[in-house]
Amino acid sequence: MPTEELFYLPITELAKRIETKQLSPVELTQLYLKRSEKFGQRLNAYARLTPEIALAQAQAAEKDIRRGHYRGPLHGIPYAAKDLLAVKGLPTTWGAKPYANQVFDNDATVIEHLNRAGAVLLGKASMIELAGGMNYRFASASLQGEAKNPWDTSCWTCGSSSGSGAIVAAGLAAFAIGTETWGSIICPSAFCGISGLRPTYGRVSRYGAMALAPSMDKIGPMARSTEDCARIFAVLAGHDPKDHGTLAVDKAAFTYSPSMELKTRSLTVGWLTNAWKTMDPAVAKIADATEKTLRKTFPVVHHVALPQGPWDDAGNVIMGIEGAASFRGLIGSGQVSELADPLGQINGYVNERISGADYMQASRVREILQKKMADLFDSFDVLATVSQPLPATPMDFNLETGLSFPDPLGAIGNLCGLPALSVPCGFTEKHLPVGLQFVARAGDDFGVILAGRTFQSHTDWHRRHPRLA
Amino acid sequence: MAEKPGSAISRREFARRAALASAIGSAVVSIGPTGAVGAAIAATARQPSESANQAPIAPSVAAAQAQLPANMPRLSPESQAEADARFQAILAQYGARFSEEQKTDLHRLCILAQPPLDRLRAYPVQNGDGTALYLKPLFEREKKPKPPSTSQPGAAKPSAAVPAAASGTAKKP
Repeated sequence: MPTEELFYLPITELAKRIETKQLSPVELTQLYLKRSEKFGQRLNAYARLTPEIALAQAQAAEKDIRRGHYRGPLHGIPYAAKDLLAVKGLPTTWGAKPYANQVFDNDATVIEHLNRAGAVLLGKASMIELAGGMNYRFASASLQGEAKNPWDTSCWTCGSSSGSGAIVAAGLAAFAIGTETWGSIICPSAFCGISGLRPTYGRVSRYGAMALAPSMDKIGPMARSTEDCARIFAVLAGHDPKDHGTLAVDKAAFTYSPSMELKTRSLTVGWLTNAWKTMDPAVAKIADATEKTLRKTFPVVHHVALPQGPWDDAGNVIMGIEGAASFRGLIGSGQVSELADPLGQINGYVNERISGADYMQASRVREILQKKMADLFDSFDVLATVSQPLPATPMDFNLETGLSFPDPLGAIGNLCGLPALSVPCGFTEKHLPVGLQFVARAGDDFGVILAGRTFQSHTDWHRRHPRLA
Repeated sequence: MAEKPGSAISRREFARRAALASAIGSAVVSIGPTGAVGAAIAATARQPSESANQAPIAPSVAAAQAQLPANMPRLSPESQAEADARFQAILAQYGARFSEEQKTDLHRLCILAQPPLDRLRAYPVQNGDGTALYLKPLFEREKKPKPPSTSQPGAAKPSAAVPAAASGTAKKP
């Protein structure tokens, strides 16, 4: 019988054991499947498990490795993919009832990349319906029901990559793939006490992924550590002619090895003073302690303020109008009324009415903002603050009123396509995790990875995990 | 400036109602009423005003307005008119789909959508400022092989495209 610790080993450690044949990918997959069957439903973490695919992929990996064909750090490693990524022949529900029986006949590009790396698909992770594209008021806005936080099942995981957060935090898979248009990787990573990377816009192909706001949608890894995220990101990243939003070959690709960190620059960190208007007292206490840790860990840490402007408003206009366009058929046909959430059923009608002139105004503001942020990053390598100003919210919390506070860093980061990383930085007295967020210049994904690696080499918050009954 | 006491209607209210009536009229003309609510709006818009300074206000707006929570943002008359017109346009096109509760909620959302738009519009931009919208010409696409000639009489037509959302190929976002 394996110890609980096996389920929480980072990919780096699992890969070492698999490469040296101390750990069988088939056995590891069977163990994760068993655990996922046991806890997955309790947490509403999966849209579906895929045991046939998982065991076939694990057996293929084992055979390859025995023959000496080891493909790299994801070979034989079980993972879950958010249920907005197409997997050939499987239902891809986008978390929403109107798409409950939707099946594609091709794989998303990220699934192809993971297949080539030899990773093992355990299942499709549950998610907020349409990734929150029609907005939502309650955590139950999902075809699979509300995702429960493994640290406290009376609390939510945050969304929209809610199942991905629960799966990694509960040790049901070694990693998961999430997506973010605005907050959907960073927030669940913070609420669930895991590490999550939102890559620079355009580094990871979205071909075969549900479109919400095409000028803002991104795909990224959620895992146990920054190093794990870096290794997964190296597999996911790359130009794809099938996604016009991807960057050129030389700008999209990402390579990673820990030795790269030894010869890199020391980082200048900007600790943000105006990222949040108010903060939960428990989070504020952890934020203070985290700032002190950063000052001990990094050679230069200065206070810095984000530029002021209508960034949240521009982000909401762009996301609202692009989302309404992406789901125009759903709104027009009235099928939007089949969504689970009362706000999701009607908000698309309002977003559909935003004018083209307002969209263009937001796009102009977006370009001005890009320049302001590029100027700011002339003085700082990374900006840092807590990922969310409050810990995981109770399940019946009204998110429309309770989570609608201004989020200028989220707006800026997603409008400008900046890379961000959330890593755990402490726990409240109620044992709920709190995340620390690093944001860097567009294209400097290595900057946030280096910052996260440095922070995690001085702390052990990322090694803690919940005890599941 | 303070309003004159004894006026039948305030200047602010007059401006709001006039803008709303104009917006309703144009929405009805351009979109066309659909369903019972839309028809009711069209009828209201066609009714002559009772007096020169009392523009008609759609009953559905008035009814939904009465249900709104007290802590709604205070909008300028123009912004209020725009928010109400947005609500009316939704009702004109889709009104039959909504319950009374949903209509009230929609009206609330239309009003809440207004302050962000007002703030965004107030941000100074110049005519020459760029937009973060770029067309990336399709250089990388390879030529598709030419399909075999289908000019023979009686050649079968291609089958109808299946919507991607139902089945088939997952589209690029």
